[in-house]
Amino acid sequence: MKSYFENYESLHDSSFEDFMAHQLSSSLCQGIPDNWNVGVRLSVRELSLVGEGSHRHLSSSIRLQIAAASIPKLPAHLCEVIVIQRLPLGVFADPFELQNPHKHKAFRDIAVFGDTNLELPSFQSNRSAVEFHIDAGFNILFMQNNGTEFNLLLPLDARYQPLDESGYSVVEIGEPDMLMRCSVEGKQHKQSCLFMSPPNEKAKSTSATVAWKIPAGMKAHAGFLSVITFVTALLSTLSIVYASMFLSGTKVSKT
Amino acid sequence: MISLKPRSILLISAIFRVGLILFGEWQDTHVEVRYTDVDYLVFSDAASLMASGQSPYKRTTYRYSPLLAFLLIPNSFTSRCWGKFLFSASDLFVGLFIRIILKQRKVPDDLCTYSMLIWLFNPFTFTIGTRGNCEPIVCAMILWIIICLNNGNVVQAAFWYGLIVHFRIYPIIYALPIIIFLDPCFFRSGTKPLLSDWTSDQGKARQINSELTDKCVVCDALKSTFTRSRILFGLISGTVFLLCTGFFFRLYGWEFLHEALLYHLTRTDPRHNFSIYFYHIYLNYERELSVLEKLISFLPQFIVQLVLILCFAKDLVFCFFVQTVAFVAFNKVITAQYFVWFFCLLPLILPWSNMKLKWKGLCCILLWMGAQTHWLLWGYLLEFKGKNVFLQLWMASLLFLAANTFILIVLIRHHNYGPVFRQHTDLKTTKTT
Repeated sequence: MKSYFENYESLHDSSFEDFMAHQLSSSLCQGIPDNWNVGVRLSVRELSLVGEGSHRHLSSSIRLQIAAASIPKLPAHLCEVIVIQRLPLGVFADPFELQNPHKHKAFRDIAVFGDTNLELPSFQSNRSAVEFHIDAGFNILFMQNNGTEFNLLLPLDARYQPLDESGYSVVEIGEPDMLMRCSVEGKQHKQSCLFMSPPNEKAKSTSATVAWKIPAGMKAHAGFLSVITFVTALLSTLSIVYASMFLSGTKVSKT
Repeated sequence: MISLKPRSILLISAIFRVGLILFGEWQDTHVEVRYTDVDYLVFSDAASLMASGQSPYKRTTYRYSPLLAFLLIPNSFTSRCWGKFLFSASDLFVGLFIRIILKQRKVPDDLCTYSMLIWLFNPFTFTIGTRGNCEPIVCAMILWIIICLNNGNVVQAAFWYGLIVHFRIYPIIYALPIIIFLDPCFFRSGTKPLLSDWTSDQGKARQINSELTDKCVVCDALKSTFTRSRILFGLISGTVFLLCTGFFFRLYGWEFLHEALLYHLTRTDPRHNFSIYFYHIYLNYERELSVLEKLISFLPQFIVQLVLILCFAKDLVFCFFVQTVAFVAFNKVITAQYFVWFFCLLPLILPWSNMKLKWKGLCCILLWMGAQTHWLLWGYLLEFKGKNVFLQLWMASLLFLAANTFILIVLIRHHNYGPVFRQHTDLKTTKTT
């Protein structure tokens, strides 16, 4: 994602997909001519939102499967799974929460890219993405035919939504993008190889999205609300002014 | 009657705060919900950026003077708790300064002790420093300014005032009352002003020093407004403010000016907070507010501040207190940490109040806490249960303003107003009502 944001100002799905395709094609490894044929399969088994209110967790259960014949080719201890969760407008991941050592000790690295301004409402913010790096080495060595699973629990916060007559706004979060990166010892130097599930395999997996219903302000409130707010402020002002001038000890008696 | 000595109170408070800081470290490591305020992490990050020669404003949401980051640089190479110890120490200084200020006015020991306890053992105040919030530093500096003014030390008061306005903008509201307070009737060249002492009658009946007030109003009007003390105060505080601001502007440019100063002057936050304006701001956030709308929301604050200053400036601490309560109540954004700004002044005005804890005082406390709790309940439903209760939350903020207004009026009614200083000539007889 760091490379993506070095080339693009904000996160758009089409730009990101082009970028990923370009990254993959430029990371072909010697001895492994085609990234798709290594037999790496990364899929989302389950995607759900956990919790209530404005602070929830996106739970992703990810399965990594590697064809048995491919396992010896991969340098087990130098592989990591990279999961990129693109977030829609309307929600954000707080980098502060992701630093919590209690929760995230299993990850090699976690970072948030894009708009990390926590304070802006969604209609004034841009999208962001969270990138996880998970050590896959141990899992590859001992992988069974049904693969291995990673569970990710990403804390998310809702931004203030655009006004809506219904009083709620629905934000949809899709599956993460996943790939595996291995450092392979080449003939002359080490190289970093990227692998991901073949496009047709990726399409087969349930294109699951989760929907998050977030409270939104209602335009119908605007008219009377402003009037009552200012009238209340005025009444409070007059009360304090009256009390200060006539009910306090500053009253001057005439002699 | 409490017979604890001030030293013992401070020692117990210090031990308690150290314990809380250590507990906070344990909680942060072992429990999901952190004890440490998120702002503390912002300060610490900014401090470590500064320590490595970078701008503290590279840390998003750092909106303070670089001075704060500078004070927390030791977080990076000693202990990450350094800042918390610093803030808690300031917290203890506030307790000490409360005692000093009251003793300057000859308030009896038992009342001084109660006042210290109200600050040092208020759950709100002792958590704020130990969680890593920097407000105790601000409170300590403001109380020190009061001590300097009471001692007639205008130069020192001006220096700290310029610094505190640079550090945290809100004390600018105290500028006019301080200028009025530096009354030529009391502040004369070469003589220390005479403080009027607390008497046992303070707590029983209201006194009006009307003849004294009359005479000095005339005195003030006749003499020039621009007295030596006032000019000195204005020049020194202004110079200190400009020097600090100019120095950091040179180092960090427009980013410093915007984040540390301009942001606070223009801040509006559509997210829910105690202010009555939050929902209005959210509903209108997508469009630019008209000049009339901005003026209408600014006018109540302006009028209240002006009237409070003109009525109470001579009783400086009380003036600071009522101004701060009103400033917070009418502000466009209210967060819980702002309450500390007037909590540190409350113990200083209580010896001059004829309101008893039973039952009026207790009612005021319960009313204020009840209004706050009521708001928090709706806030919880919105934020943690995802219910659309914006309207109810806004109504709760109206009630909170009403509660603050009511309590402020009650405190004004029960306060024994009197100028802090008396003239060097003989006092006229005061009338008792």
